[in-house]
Amino acid sequence: MSRVITREVVQGLYKRTGTARVDADVAASFKVGDGIRARNVHPTGHTRLPRYIRGKQGRIATDHGVFQFADSLAHGGGKQPQHLYSVCFTAQELWGSQAPARDSLYIDLWDDYLEAV
Amino acid sequence: MSDEDVALRVRALESLLLEKGLVEAPAIDEIIDLFENRLGPQNGARVVARAWSDPDFKARLLENATDAIVEMGYEAVQGEDMVVVENTPKVQNLVVCTLCSCFPWATLGLPPVWYKSAPYRSRAASDPRGVLAEFGTEIAADAEVRVWDSNAELRYMVLPERPADTNGMSEDELMALVTRDSMIGVTKALAP
Repeated sequence: MSRVITREVVQGLYKRTGTARVDADVAASFKVGDGIRARNVHPTGHTRLPRYIRGKQGRIATDHGVFQFADSLAHGGGKQPQHLYSVCFTAQELWGSQAPARDSLYIDLWDDYLEAV
Repeated sequence: MSDEDVALRVRALESLLLEKGLVEAPAIDEIIDLFENRLGPQNGARVVARAWSDPDFKARLLENATDAIVEMGYEAVQGEDMVVVENTPKVQNLVVCTLCSCFPWATLGLPPVWYKSAPYRSRAASDPRGVLAEFGTEIAADAEVRVWDSNAELRYMVLPERPADTNGMSEDELMALVTRDSMIGVTKALAP
C-alpha cells in the first residue's frame, strides 16, 4: 500500500467522513433529567473521562445518540457502540462552594462512564 | 526562534518530505489552500451572520447544527457532529477541550495556540469568569456562565449575541463583526 500523501489524500480531508456516530440500536441507560455520578475509575490508557469529573454528580442534559466508544477503540477493543450524553455539572459540584452558584459545565460522557444516583 | 528561522526549518522539512517521496508537492499546495482559504473562521462567521438574519435558519442551527452547517456547504473533517450554543444577555457560553485541542475545523479552522495551552485548558474549566475577564469580556452580574468541554466526539461553536445598532446590516456586513474568539465564546462579537 502506498503511504505517499497525494493531493487526493488531502482532498479527502475536506469531506465529512469521520463521524463517530454509529447506526445501531443500543438501549440508553439514562434519560434526559436523570441524576448520575461519573465513575471514579483510573484507566491506565486512553480515556475521555477527565479526572476533574470522576466521582462528581451531574444530570443528563441531552442524549446525543449512539457513538463508538473512544476508550475501547483506542485499545483495539472495537467500537462498543453506546449512548453519549451531554452531562451538566454545577460549578460548585466541581470546584467547591466558592464557585459561582449560577455557573455550570457541560461535558460529553458515554454510558460506561456513568452510574445512577 | 525568529520567523526567518521557522521559515528555514519548514523549508528543510518540506524538502526532506519531498525528496524521500513521503509527500507530493501538490498535496502541500492543497493543505495550504485548505487551511488558508476553505476551512477557517470565515465559514463560522457566515453561519453566525445568517443565523442573526434568518430566524428559521437560527432555529434549525440550534436544533441540529450539523445539518444546518452542511446546508451552508461547510462539510469537512472535525465538523462531523456539531453543536451550536447561543449566547444571550443571561447566558455566556465558553468552549474548551480540557483533554487536548478538539476544535470545529469546518467552521473555525485550526485552533489558536492559546486554545491548546495548558493554562487555558485548565482555567477555562475551573475559572471561566477569570478567563473572560482577561479577554476583556464583561459578563452581567446576574448572567450564567456555561462551559462546554468538547472532550468526546462532538464539536462546539458559540452563536454570539448580535451586537446593538446593527439593524439593517447585510449578512456580509454582519460577518465582519464575527471573530473566531467570539465563536469560541471568550469575547463578544465586535461593535459596528
